[in-house]
Amino acid sequence: MTMQNTSEHTERYICVNCGYIYDPAQGDGMNNIPAGTSFTCLPEQWVCPMCYAKKELFDPLD
Amino acid sequence: MKPSVSSLYQAVELQQEIPPLIIGERANANGSKKFRELLLANDYQGCLRIAQEQEAKGAQVIDLCTAYAGRDEILDMSTLVQLCASSLKAPLMIDSTTPECIEQCLRLYPGRAIVNSINLEDGGTNLRRICRAAKQYGAAVVALTIDEQGMAMRAEDKLRIAKAIHHLATTECGLRPQDLLFDCLTFTVGSGDTSLNDAAVQTLEAIRGIKSELPGCLTVLGLSNISFGLAPAARKVLNSVFLHEAVAAGLDAAIVDAARIMPLASIGEEDRRICLDLLYDRTEAAETSPLMRFIEHFSDKEQESQEGGSDQNKTAQELLFQKVLTGDKEGLDDLLAMARGRMQPLEIINQVLVPAMRHVGELFGKGEILLPFVLQSAEVMKAAVTLLEPFMDKTETSSGPSILLATVQGDVHDIGKNLVDIILSNNGYTVHNLGIKVPAETIIEKARELHVKLIGLSGLLVKSAIVMQESMPQYREAGLRMPILLGGAALTPKFVAQNCVPNYPGPVVYCADAFAGLKAVQEFEQGTLRSTVYDSQSAIQPMKPGVKAEVHRDNPVPQPPFLGQRYQEDIDLQEVLALVNKQALFRGRWGYRRGKMSAQEYDALLKDTVEPLYHTLCQQALESGWIEARVSYGYFPCHAAGDSLLVKDGEQEYCFSFPRQAQAPYLCIADYFKSKKDGGDIAAFFVVTIGPRFSEESAKLYAANAYHDYLMLHGLSVEITDALAEYWHARMRQELGIGTVQQTSADGVITQGYQGSRYGFGYPACPDLEAHRPVFALLKPEAIGVSLTENMLMVPEQTTSAIVVHHPQAKYFAV
Repeated sequence: MTMQNTSEHTERYICVNCGYIYDPAQGDGMNNIPAGTSFTCLPEQWVCPMCYAKKELFDPLD
Repeated sequence: MKPSVSSLYQAVELQQEIPPLIIGERANANGSKKFRELLLANDYQGCLRIAQEQEAKGAQVIDLCTAYAGRDEILDMSTLVQLCASSLKAPLMIDSTTPECIEQCLRLYPGRAIVNSINLEDGGTNLRRICRAAKQYGAAVVALTIDEQGMAMRAEDKLRIAKAIHHLATTECGLRPQDLLFDCLTFTVGSGDTSLNDAAVQTLEAIRGIKSELPGCLTVLGLSNISFGLAPAARKVLNSVFLHEAVAAGLDAAIVDAARIMPLASIGEEDRRICLDLLYDRTEAAETSPLMRFIEHFSDKEQESQEGGSDQNKTAQELLFQKVLTGDKEGLDDLLAMARGRMQPLEIINQVLVPAMRHVGELFGKGEILLPFVLQSAEVMKAAVTLLEPFMDKTETSSGPSILLATVQGDVHDIGKNLVDIILSNNGYTVHNLGIKVPAETIIEKARELHVKLIGLSGLLVKSAIVMQESMPQYREAGLRMPILLGGAALTPKFVAQNCVPNYPGPVVYCADAFAGLKAVQEFEQGTLRSTVYDSQSAIQPMKPGVKAEVHRDNPVPQPPFLGQRYQEDIDLQEVLALVNKQALFRGRWGYRRGKMSAQEYDALLKDTVEPLYHTLCQQALESGWIEARVSYGYFPCHAAGDSLLVKDGEQEYCFSFPRQAQAPYLCIADYFKSKKDGGDIAAFFVVTIGPRFSEESAKLYAANAYHDYLMLHGLSVEITDALAEYWHARMRQELGIGTVQQTSADGVITQGYQGSRYGFGYPACPDLEAHRPVFALLKPEAIGVSLTENMLMVPEQTTSAIVVHHPQAKYFAV
């Protein structure tokens, strides 16, 4: 593995609207996002799988 | 008799038992920017206030000087002398070099004043004239050691000039020695000019000389010149040490800023030594000059005092700006009184307060500050305007365009609209807030009557978006042309551009939040406001999350504990509160987002501010009985038929039609229920409410302009309602035998870490509120105080409803 284990790749993000936590280690099955996808690499049209909030409504958690 | 001066009200001895006599220096157009600005604004009352402030801070005589280029000195002085004569207990020092002005003032002043000043600059012409006037009106006179060669720097020259003045004044003009106060005019020791290194020494020596060689005469000193050019905090210390030395040399009176004199005892040993080294020019054995040592020594202290906020150096405007920025109402009335001294109320609003709010808005836009702090700033703004209003004409309250705001017909949600009101009205605009459930007819009528320049419509519900769309032609037919701003959770730029813009001739603008609303109003003022445009090419289509799997039809149907409807009011509120989604509350509802903070900073904010607030509010809610938790719920036999669910209550059958997703996996709530052929199923419903108390309390806060607390209480009420829904959902899962684990915290709730799902009516899986009609027929929630508006919205606002689905695959989705 050459991928750096920086916080940017593994940092979890929380939805300020509902509290759902996006964890790169798990991905997001509801939106077909594979595990290992960092939050910043999520597509722009990605929304919270629980409440459909847009990406800008997420706060970094760690 | 001891030499004294007097006002109408009292006599003050020139030689105080504990010298020096303190003469306040701030009522001086040359020495005080604040005083000058008041004077230039012809605000004599404001000028008088500066004099009074000094009196309050210990000045025993007040120096008054209005000489300033372009001003009519005689008019200014005579006006102020009369004002001061009746309002000040302290006697006046008439500070002018114009003989006519001095004569006029002495004539007007009802006590014994001091004239400041005479000198020998012109050889004695003015001196004679002024001294005769002083003799005629019985005034004391300050004499400066200046002659035709200029200001005397050496002690012997100072003394020589003093003797010359003494001779003229006493022999020619008939003044007594005790009528004369000699000012030996000190120079600064802070300039680095080596010829002035002994300036303090020369002055002190001259004071001693005058006291010994001109018996009966008095001495006075404009103290602060000694430290001219040095940093403010260091000056204060040096001035105070120098004053002490001068008094020891025989000084009787000092012209100072009374508020800035420190008792010697409060100055530390080392500070004092470094000041004395500078004053006495002690260079022995030291590698650096006393001035360099002084500057180095006090540079650290300067920083400290700046961090501590050296308010005295700031103007009232700067401090007001700061108050708004930091959301601090403390001392606001005093600051406003001071600001009013030099500005009109409307100028204070438009030049200080509104720019401060704009700055706050910009900081919010950049993610530098959070919404709760914006609201605190708005509270300060509102409080300031309220304090200024009595001083303003009714007509001049606002110069900007006026805006009508309303939550549309059938919708009771007003937090969004009220936030817009707060932001707009506290940015200087006139807002007419018509409240909730406002029909289009009323909006048209009021828009005409109030001559508003813009209309802002708000509504949370999907139905409200439809209401906005449908009302556009009405506004058009009524002849309205002003811009219409639209905001609300169910709106999108696409909807506004495609469904609203084409039906109205004026600009129709989508506003994502209150600040977008502010921006739109500002664009309107600049003439750049345009309708929302939707570009399907560049627009981002949001994803539609959901489980992409076939719904199984072979799951077992659970056994309900009963069939039909029941009420429940005996609810453990602590268990409900334990389920409050604090993340959504703190970050979402309250706006305490992490933003640009580090994780540590954010944790500190939560720990020090947010959590304590949460606990205080919960405690208050519990103690005051604001949470009136009530539930109506029930289990009913049902079966699916296509996209519909047919629910039986005794003989009565109700049909729920659910929408189906237009794209894969084409989900529909009805899919989670068995058809008649498969043996039918069980449908469960609930309506939960925490009653009207929260709405009443938050309305009170809003009416009292407690914006911050209003947002906090409203947000809390919404999340407690949701917690109650979660609590009851968990209870129903247990009753159905599918909730094996008891729900004790919000954590698993967010990700639906349990079997089944609850779908709220009006939310993405079933947005149509019409379903409330059969729900109300089944659950009869009127008995727990819940009713419906004409648009099928439940009242009180703190109420929520759902269909409870037990199917293991049931999770949230959006149609």
